[in-house]
Amino acid sequence: MAIAITVKNVYNGSTVRMEVESDETMGDIIQSAAEYWRKEASAYILKKGKTLLRSSMTVAEAGIIADDVLEMVPDPEGGSR
Amino acid sequence: MITTDFVDRDRFDRMRRIEWVDVDSIRGKRCLVVGAGALGNEVVKDMVLAGFRRIAVVDMDHIVTSNLSRCLFFRDSDVRKVRKADVVAARASELDPDAEITPVVSDIRDMEDWDFDIVLGCLDNIQARMHVNAHSYYHGIPYIDGATDGMNGRVMVIIPGGPCLQCTMNRTHVEQMERRFTCTGNGTAFVPKTASDITTTAVIAAMQVREAMKVASGRQDLCIKGVTYYNGTEGTMETLGVSIDPACMNHTE
Repeated sequence: MAIAITVKNVYNGSTVRMEVESDETMGDIIQSAAEYWRKEASAYILKKGKTLLRSSMTVAEAGIIADDVLEMVPDPEGGSR
Repeated sequence: MITTDFVDRDRFDRMRRIEWVDVDSIRGKRCLVVGAGALGNEVVKDMVLAGFRRIAVVDMDHIVTSNLSRCLFFRDSDVRKVRKADVVAARASELDPDAEITPVVSDIRDMEDWDFDIVLGCLDNIQARMHVNAHSYYHGIPYIDGATDGMNGRVMVIIPGGPCLQCTMNRTHVEQMERRFTCTGNGTAFVPKTASDITTTAVIAAMQVREAMKVASGRQDLCIKGVTYYNGTEGTMETLGVSIDPACMNHTE
């Protein structure tokens, strides 16, 4: 059964509502949200509270329920140049 | 018998006053710093001042003018003439005459000697990080990775047996790596420049070296558990728990 969640981009504060199935993965959610915010091409991680949600975890495995808010955080890449 | 100034004659007296810091152990550890740019300058400076004495610094790049706003060991006269690793090693050695800082002018992918106790990543791209992460994990070496982007930064301590950097990755990281190679025709990675400033660089580098001090002092129990994200604009920091990804190639037989 599909549930509706909110994904928030912590970089710009914008949000998107997303309908997800219990067997969809965090990687699927990150991918869809990243495409939604395509103009800010970056690597992202997804978090819920104080936990980083691994890419291969399913919605069910991650314990995500309807109306949860997941946060997308840009993953810094620089440091040398 | 003591003199009135005996506490000021020991270079590391103030550090020895921190309960968990083991200065003698820190001085004996062999460390590899990968990258001698913005983070690498700050990391090596902090390491030498903190007592690390045996440090190898790997970088193959020359110094350019844009490095000068974030790299305390570089000078205008170095631009385009000398290699980052050589300069960092030479100038950082002046901070402690007992320090043995070895420059390695090489691509990290060409390094074969991984005989180190601690590895610190000061890199600017995901692909190089994955390489260092995999080699450190394979050789059982704690790896402390730092990254910055503008006012944001990240530090992760990878202890063998626990989750690694790759466990935190997803398809957006792969796409980011692929974007790096879009413009190359000769096998050399094209690395677009990321925003960077000295304040964020200094914060992340200091955190990396503090974690290295914990590892070197035998206090891995005090290390960051997961990955810490720093937001310099808001002045906030948050550590997220990370678990092992069963599909991660570093964790499969």
